[in-house]
Parts: sequence; C-alpha cells; structure tokens
Amino acid sequence: MKTLIRRLLPKLAAGLVMIWAVASFTFFLVHALPGNPGDAAYENYILAGMPPEQAQAKVASIYGFTSHDPLLAQYRGYIWRLLHGDLGQSISYSGVPVTHVLRAAAPWTIFPALAGLIIAFLVGTSGGALAAVKRSSRWGGVLSMSGSFFAGIPAFVLALVLAFLFHTEWNLLPYGDTSDVTLTPGFNGPYIASVIQHAVLPVATYALLAYGGWLLTMKSSVISVLGDDFILAAELRGLHPRTRMRYVSRNAILPMFTMFALSIGYLLGGSVLVENVFDYPGLGNVLFQAIGARDYPLMSGAFLLITVAIVLANIVADLLYTVIDPRVRR
Amino acid sequence: MNRLHRLRAPLALAACAGLLAACSSGGGKTSSSQLVYTSVDATNPITAGAPMNPFNASGNYFPSYDTMQLGFDKQNPKDPDDFFPGLAASWTISSTGITVKLQPGAKWSDGTPVTPADIKLSMAIALTQGSATVGAGFLTQGLDVGSVTEVDASTVQIDQAAGGTNLNFARLVLGQYIVPSSVYGSLVPSSIWSTIDDLASADSATASAAVTKLNAIGKAVSAFSPAKDVSAGPFVIARVNPGSAELTRNPDFYALSKIVPSEVILRHFSGNSDIWGYMKSGELDSAPYTSMPTNILDSVLKTGYTRVDSASFVDAAIAFNESDAPYGQAAVRQALAYVIDRQAVTKVGEPVGGTAASDLTGMVESATKQWLTPSQISSLNPYSPDQTKAASLLTGAGFKKSGSQWLLPDGTPWKITLQTVSGFSDWNAAATVVSSELDSFGIPTQVKLTSDFATYKTDMAAGKYAVGFWLIALGPSASAAYQRLYGQDDGYTANANGTVTHADGGGNWQHTPTSYTVNGTAIDPGLLTAQLATLSATAQQTQVQQLALATNEQMPVIPIWDYTNVNFTYDKRFTDFPGASSPDINGLMYNQPGVWMMQGYVKAK
Repeated sequence: MKTLIRRLLPKLAAGLVMIWAVASFTFFLVHALPGNPGDAAYENYILAGMPPEQAQAKVASIYGFTSHDPLLAQYRGYIWRLLHGDLGQSISYSGVPVTHVLRAAAPWTIFPALAGLIIAFLVGTSGGALAAVKRSSRWGGVLSMSGSFFAGIPAFVLALVLAFLFHTEWNLLPYGDTSDVTLTPGFNGPYIASVIQHAVLPVATYALLAYGGWLLTMKSSVISVLGDDFILAAELRGLHPRTRMRYVSRNAILPMFTMFALSIGYLLGGSVLVENVFDYPGLGNVLFQAIGARDYPLMSGAFLLITVAIVLANIVADLLYTVIDPRVRR
Repeated sequence: MNRLHRLRAPLALAACAGLLAACSSGGGKTSSSQLVYTSVDATNPITAGAPMNPFNASGNYFPSYDTMQLGFDKQNPKDPDDFFPGLAASWTISSTGITVKLQPGAKWSDGTPVTPADIKLSMAIALTQGSATVGAGFLTQGLDVGSVTEVDASTVQIDQAAGGTNLNFARLVLGQYIVPSSVYGSLVPSSIWSTIDDLASADSATASAAVTKLNAIGKAVSAFSPAKDVSAGPFVIARVNPGSAELTRNPDFYALSKIVPSEVILRHFSGNSDIWGYMKSGELDSAPYTSMPTNILDSVLKTGYTRVDSASFVDAAIAFNESDAPYGQAAVRQALAYVIDRQAVTKVGEPVGGTAASDLTGMVESATKQWLTPSQISSLNPYSPDQTKAASLLTGAGFKKSGSQWLLPDGTPWKITLQTVSGFSDWNAAATVVSSELDSFGIPTQVKLTSDFATYKTDMAAGKYAVGFWLIALGPSASAAYQRLYGQDDGYTANANGTVTHADGGGNWQHTPTSYTVNGTAIDPGLLTAQLATLSATAQQTQVQQLALATNEQMPVIPIWDYTNVNFTYDKRFTDFPGASSPDINGLMYNQPGVWMMQGYVKAK
C-alpha cells in the first residue's frame, strides 16, 4: 500500500501541474479565437431567420455575461475560481454555471463512449488473438483486413454512413436524443430500453472506430509473445494448446490495459465529431456549440474536463500496470 | 456443464436485452395520447441543460406553444404594427403608446388569470435585458417604456418614456414575452419602476446607476431556472430532454377549443441534414425552413410532404469593401453585376429555397413591389447577364484586356478572391459558379473559405476581405433592410439632433460613401436610412424610393437570390394547415405552428 501511495503522489502532483498548464494554455487559446460571443450570436440568429430587432435583443441579453476585463485579469479570475472548484458562468446560456451545463451533458458522453470502448476492446482483442493464431489461414486474413478497414475509416465518414443507413434510409434506429421524451426517466424497462436504443448508433460508431486499433495491436502483441522462449518451453513440455493460449493472452494483453485506460480520455475528445453527426447531446456537442458561440467559459470548462480525464486515465493506467504486471513492481 | 457455465453471462445479457425490448412498447409513457404533433423550432432550438426561461439566450422555451407574447408579427413590410392577436385580444396605438385589451379568460397553466400586473412585470424585465441605456439611445432605439398603467382588470396602457420617439414602440411591446409575476416577481425589486424613471434623469450619475441596477436585475432574470413551466400558451412544457421537448395541452388556455393536438413534441437539430432525416422518415408534422438540394426536396415530397413557400426577407449577396481598389468604383461593381448570371448561380446555390434576385434594390422583391411604383420598378436596371456591357463599363473605367485577362487601370492583372464561410453550403456552391463565370470573363477568381462565421465577421470588420458573401435586406421593414447597407452596420450613427455621422472604420466593412448622385440629385444614404427610423410607414415612401433607386444604380452589393421561406407540412396525422392561399401566409409561416393553431388551423385527420 505504501509503495502504491509513494508511486501515486508524484504522479498526482505531475498531473496537477499538467492540468494547470493545459488550463492556462486553453484559456489563452480560446480567447485568441477571432470573433466574440455577441457577433457570433447575432449573425446566427439572423441566419436562423430572426428579425434584426429580436436578434439584437437576444444578443443584449448575453452581453452582460461577457467579461470586458483585460485578458490577464480574466485569467487570474479564472484560475482563482478554478481553485475554488468554480468553472464560471456560461455566456451563451446567460449565466448558467458551466459545471451545470457540463454535468447535464457528461453522462451522455461517458455512457456511449465507455460502452463503445468496452465492446471494441472485448471484440478487438479477442479478434486480434485469433487473427495472430490463425494468421496463416483465410479467417486470419479476413480478421486482419477488417481491422485495417475500420482503423482506416475517418470517424466522421463512418458516423455519417451509419446515420444515413440506419436512420435516414431504413429508419431502424432513432437519432438526435437520449431517449423517447414521452417516457418517464428512471429505473424502468421502457426508459432503459429507449436509452439503449438511442445510444446504439453512437456506441456502434465508437466501437467500430476503436475495433481496428485493438485488433491490429493485439495481433502484433500476440505474434510477438508467440515467439518468446517461454512459449516454446511450454510447447516442448507438452502443455495443452488452450493453456498455452492462456499464457500468450495474459502476456499479450498487458500493454492493452494501458491503452484501454488512455483511450477513455481520448474518446471524450473524439466525441465532438461523433456527437455532432448524430446530434447526440453529450460533451462533444456542447463543446462544438460553445466554440461556434465563442462561449469562452464553457469552452475552457469542456477542454479542462477532457484534460482531467486524460491525465487521470494516464495515472490509472500507470497504477493498473503496476498491479497487473508484477515485474513493474520490482 | 462447464460450457453452459461460461455461456451464463452472455445469456443473461441477452435475456435482459430481450426483456427491455419487449417492455419498450409498453407503459412508462407520460401520456397515451394519439394526437401528438411533432415539429422542430428552428429559432428556439432545444438546449441541453438550459433553463425553461425565455430571457435566457439558450433557454428552452417555445414561443406560441408555451411562451406567449401580446401578439405575433405578421411580417407586413408596410405596416410594422400588423400582428396576430396573442394575449392581447385587441390594441389601439397612439403617438405616446399602446393600450392593450387582454384576451377574455386568459389564464396561466396554474389556473390564475393573466393580469395587467403580469404585463407590467414583463415590460420591466424586458427593459433589463440590454435595452436599458441612457440618453438618445434610450429614446430612439430600444423598448423605451416609461410607464405601464392598469386601466381595468383586462386593459393595460403602456407608454413610451417622456420624449420617446420610437416608431417601433408598439411593435416592440407586442412582441415581448409575457411571464407570470407569480414565478418571476421575486426576481425583480418593487422599486424597479423608479429605477426605470431614473434612466431619463438629467443627472448622468443617477442615469448610469440606474443602468447598472437594471443590468444586474437582468442578469439574475436571465440565469433564473424555474422549477416548472407556467404558461399562458396553448401548451405547457411537461419535460425537456437533451434532444427533444414534450409539451402537453394547457387546459387553462383561453382558446382551448381551437387547439387540437393533445401533445406537441419538438425535436432538436444541429444541422439541416437532421431535419431532412426526420422528414424522410415522416416524423415531423411540419418542418421549418432548411436550405436543401433538389434531390432532398424530391425525396421529401415523395414521402408526402407539401411545400409551402412564403417571403423570407433576406437576400444572399456579394458585397464589396469599397475602400479596397477597384471596388470603390460604381462602374466596376455594375460590370460585375452584368457578368454574374444570378439565375445560374441560384440554380446551384439555393435551388429550393431561393429565387434569383430580380430588382436589385437592397430589399427583397416582394418588399420592392410594395414600396415602388410600377413605373419606378420598370425603370430599375435588371443587370441581365451581358458581357458586352460589362466590358464597356470596365473599358470606360480605364481597365484593359490583355489576351483573355482583364488588367487593372495600372496595368496589373485583376484577380478576385471571393470569400465565403466553411459549412455554408449554399454560399459555397454559389461561389464556385460565380468564380467560374468571372474566370471565363477574364477575371481569375479564387474562392476562399473562412473557418466559421464568427471569424468571418471579425475578419470582414478588420477589412481583410475585398469581396465576400453577405446577407442583406434583413427583416420586412425597409428601415431594417437599409440599416444593413447604410446604417450602423456600415458605420453610420444617428445623432439625437437628427444629424448622421459616418465613421469609416471600426467594425463596418463595406465603406459605402456618404453621398450618391442619382438622376442628377445628390443624396446621403446614411441620413435617409436614419430618417426611416423616425418616420411612420406611410411617410417613408419617398426615402425608401430614393434609397431603392440609388442602390440599384450604385450596386454597393450584388444581390444574388432572395431566400424563400420554404416550409413543409405533412397531412398524414393532421390536416387544415396554412397554405399558399391563406391570408397573411408570410406571417403564419414566419411564426411557429402554435400561432397557426391559435388562428384555427391544424385539425385532426
């Protein structure tokens, strides 16, 4: 336990420094974007067909939430509020706390992204192990090809194709919401079924996007382990092929766990494209809207959340590696 | 046995999934109603996590469904006060204000009546939403409410502040959101009207302090999140999901007998393709305007939707930075207008939702027809495609042609960078056609995309683009349309003493001149535009005509197409939608279907 804490503390400290550095960088980055919340909102209202006087009135209502202090003073205020756990008030939401907006959106990114990742991990690593073992057979080739195919498709294209086929063309799956709005949210069958049904397309996109990577990495890891001396020794000792495969899999999957933990963080960042295509109301969608609206506090808050997720995932990956590979603990 | 043991987990998962799927068509619904009306509110999209508050910039509120106004705009170019009745059954407008008779039996969804006190509170709140400014701006631009007086239990008189001259006052009052004092009253101090009085104080410190106080109240109101929707509209919000909202019929609505749907579901959208998808699968009973290509239109019509066209009072145009040579010369802009074939460009850029601009007056065609006489309309230059005229104009301005390429008067090759915005598919498609037409005329043209509209606007204001796409002819009133060309947007400021000053820079980008000579007469377009805001609609005729003729001759922008407000209705579940022959179709289509229902449209099929 003491060893674990000794390992954890420096990593946490480094993580905090990293979070501060990224928070500062993103703060200045988002403020360096051309445009301002008022101008962005005004023209967007006009484009939506709103008459000028109504658009002007709506813009006036967000003007009061836009800070007009010098940038350095704004930065000092931002860091001070961060230290107190306050991400500030959203501009485009007329003063609604950023934490409130992010909290409302976060479950709708975490749930599908995590589900997609787990499915991709399970299917991809199993397929990778099989592709390595059967690499000389036709099935091994087909599996490897499928991995390369899905690893090569851009996220945006895959999401568009799935949306077009399964919603627009065949109308098999819903789109654009988290559940049927007429259902009472809670732990009841219809609501849970509706949530699952609405998440199928984003989850499938996340899973298919990640599947290829897992498959190809696992395949190469298994091939590498298959050539190790201890496998040869196991073969010579006449161990059952299933037992040998267990040895191979356990050794080959070690680096996958690190990648798995890291992927959680990166998936949050990748949700921007996927959620935008499916109009799925998670963090990625919030971030996309915030950028268009030049909502600086909301942008900073969303970037910070992604940073924290990646930093934490790194720390967890390091610790996990320590736990599952006894050699690292030495 | 071992194999079965391993299969236990997947089998359990499959059983759960089956159970959930079996349950999915069963109970749990808040309503078993069969009359669900589904649509999209494009101007008030659903925003995950936002409050149900019409004063929040991203609030989840839906005008005409739950959120009510005293009236709803009919989009009449010549009568800005022409409104459909809302909470106001009728009204009379005087030089100082407006007297409103509330709908008999108007009630909030909690059963309490709508009273003059609610109107008074709503007007005070409206003043806290950025309208509160001191001095001339307060008296000429914003909602300059001075007092709200209860005449009787259902009549209220709303007057402008002393000295107020805003001709749009009645229009602004009628269009305000009316909220219940039982919900919003606690956010507004009882002293607010004395603070509002202080806005007009001769003591600048008192007036400024009043602005600060009102803005602080405004911020509190904007960020307020009511626990539930209390509505005076035909519907009330039952639930807002991150991607859709469910509204149920308000049993206390004053004209309940006209409202047929028992429930309304509004869907969120983040791009046009979302709405196309909903329509292709027949999910929407009506759909708002979306820009769409012809193949999508065909598939939507094939699904069974009916197209309803109405005027939209917005033009897509190519505008110039006149401080950037050679675009300060009228002959150059006129020549380019002759080169660009607007029909061909519209066919590619906005084939469904646009009609090629024909009158080129700075207003959309339907407004031009109302303001100008037939003889004036026939005198307008249509700038039909004519490369010979274009060449003649350019030669007259000192340009030369070397081989197939036009040279500027100083002998350097003339190249155009046509700027547009990434993601604006209609502008981008149009830009490729314009570029090809200019190329073949001898002006190599490159289309450049800016990453997003906020950046585009900032770069334009900074003078970075010489030629770019721009929206003009905004709003039905001529005053709003010309403000875009010769008003604040282009650096003109109307002063309290009736004069107009022009600061050439600082946010404006077109740099139109302060004087035009039209038919031998010099006019000041900024002054004329400023005057429009101070004249009644009937008295504006001369100024509007002068501005229209000057714009047609000077071509500060080349209008490419008038947007058409193309809506769609689907009569599989409901019928009696407004159609092309319905009275006030522009206003009906401009407003959400809640207004249609209040007007007696939309019946069960």
